[in-house]
Amino acid sequence: MLHQYRSWLLAVAAAGLFTGCASNGVHNPGGVGVTEMRPDERGFVAGTGVESQDLVAVTDKMARGILGVAQISQAQGTPRVVLDPVKNETRFPINKDIFLTRIRAQLNEKAAGKVLFLARDRMAALERERDLKVSGQVTANSDPHVVEFKGADFFLTGTLQGLTTKTSAGTSDYILYAFQLIDARTSDIIWESSAEIKKQGLEDAAYR
Amino acid sequence: MKKCFWALLLAAPLWLAGCASENHAIPGLTGDILLDGPKAIAVGPPRDKVLWQYRTAAGALHAGNYPMAKSYLDDALASIGGIYGKDATAKQARGYFHGEEKKTFIGEPYERVMAYYYRGILYWMDGEPDNARACFRSGQIEDSSAVDQYSSDYILLDYLDGLASIKTGGDGTEALNRVIKQTTPYPKPPAYEPQANTLFFIEFGQGPLKFATGRYEEELRFRTPPSRIKSAVLRVEDKAIALGPYDDLAYQATTRGGRVMDHILANKAVFKSTTSVVGDAALVSGALVAATERNTTGLAVGLGLMAAGLTSKIISASTTPAADIRCWDNLPHYLTFSAVSLAPGPHTATVEFRDEFGNVLADLTKTINLNVAATPRDTVVYVSDRSLTPQNR
Repeated sequence: MLHQYRSWLLAVAAAGLFTGCASNGVHNPGGVGVTEMRPDERGFVAGTGVESQDLVAVTDKMARGILGVAQISQAQGTPRVVLDPVKNETRFPINKDIFLTRIRAQLNEKAAGKVLFLARDRMAALERERDLKVSGQVTANSDPHVVEFKGADFFLTGTLQGLTTKTSAGTSDYILYAFQLIDARTSDIIWESSAEIKKQGLEDAAYR
Repeated sequence: MKKCFWALLLAAPLWLAGCASENHAIPGLTGDILLDGPKAIAVGPPRDKVLWQYRTAAGALHAGNYPMAKSYLDDALASIGGIYGKDATAKQARGYFHGEEKKTFIGEPYERVMAYYYRGILYWMDGEPDNARACFRSGQIEDSSAVDQYSSDYILLDYLDGLASIKTGGDGTEALNRVIKQTTPYPKPPAYEPQANTLFFIEFGQGPLKFATGRYEEELRFRTPPSRIKSAVLRVEDKAIALGPYDDLAYQATTRGGRVMDHILANKAVFKSTTSVVGDAALVSGALVAATERNTTGLAVGLGLMAAGLTSKIISASTTPAADIRCWDNLPHYLTFSAVSLAPGPHTATVEFRDEFGNVLADLTKTINLNVAATPRDTVVYVSDRSLTPQNR
């Protein structure tokens, strides 16, 4: 009889013992190996801000939209476009150039010369090279005194705006990505398109 | 067998106590945050990583090592922004048998706000006022979980939001209106001067520290050591600008309102207390039964009660309701700001810190040699009473 009680008590004590220690374990103690993912898929590390899948979705849409603009697709010559930095009015600090860089790359890949971008962000280096040619320090295949830097036909720019709600039910972030193609001569907005992304999340109660 | 049983039963509480009090002290810390921080981030517990990133970033700002501060703040902010959803460490922290400090540290709202505030300053320093504004807006969102009248009530964050909007060609009126509507114990900043091209972010005093009260230290509390600095004077060219605090981190820390975690810790404390009382009762009654009963059944019942009591005591001892008092301990008490219009070229500015009677604390005066660029980009200066001097910008 006493032996039966002892066994029971031993079991209870052991259970208590392991309850105390068992949850000391670390989630993924061996870490998580590097997982290669497509930039347009949602990863297992996610926030409510601007992420790669948003960038891909938004810029793909914009590039397709620009290619369909009559002033681009049916232009007599090849229109020249200058990128004007995106305005970030959201609550998320971002590398603003990344949107226009991807749109430019997409168009250069897919537009087959229907549109050309001017490297205005490289003007300092280009002017230095021209000056070297003018001064005769380096050779030139054409008259360096003739200005050949092209002017822009269009400006491509955009604005990111956001709305945030944070309550005990979680955080909600809505971002409106709006891009415009502006005629440099007339200031007409010849094309505009937008994309909207809304995300919500709730942190563990331990952080609330 | 009998001896073995009792030895195991007696050893169990000690064993569990060992489980409950893990020691993660990092050996060889020097007291210099710029040395200790990177070491603690590398070898310390992963759950404290953000804490050390915060501390190291502040230390780097004081030392004028802005690239280092940026790097740590970017990592820390990525952690803050990705905290949504299930979190194994947070789940542990909510459990009965682990302390709150088991969770990955991201700090209380005032600490998270400061991470965004500092990163905003650094973005502005790099000529990106729109990203700076994004940080200030995120900072206000971090403070929005406070009780209503104290929600998103940082004066400087709204003020700087508006100034950044003006600098990026927008309208700062809406943000300034929010500043005007805010309730604050301090004077409010002046109307914007859009032509001001040199921005001074100034801070002083020791920020809030955390401690715990309650029977089981389950109640999180804040104390702020009294600051001998109460105001500052910025001197540049022929200007002497008196600067009082616009934001007070002690006020912000203590007006956050209750946390969900406070209820969880209170429940843990009740559970710990109850299991302890039940254990005491079972042990005493079991001992009495075992001592008075002479037959085998009575002895068995007495021993059973004692064992149940001991188990209950073990569970009580293993319950950890202590509040998390890990703290970003090199934050300032007060934040202030001034925007000044200076001609392009070299200038020397001094920041004097003053006590409550207006006396200059000469040992804390900072000198800043700055070169104002002829471009539209603002020159941004960060000055703390802990900053190195002279500082060259």
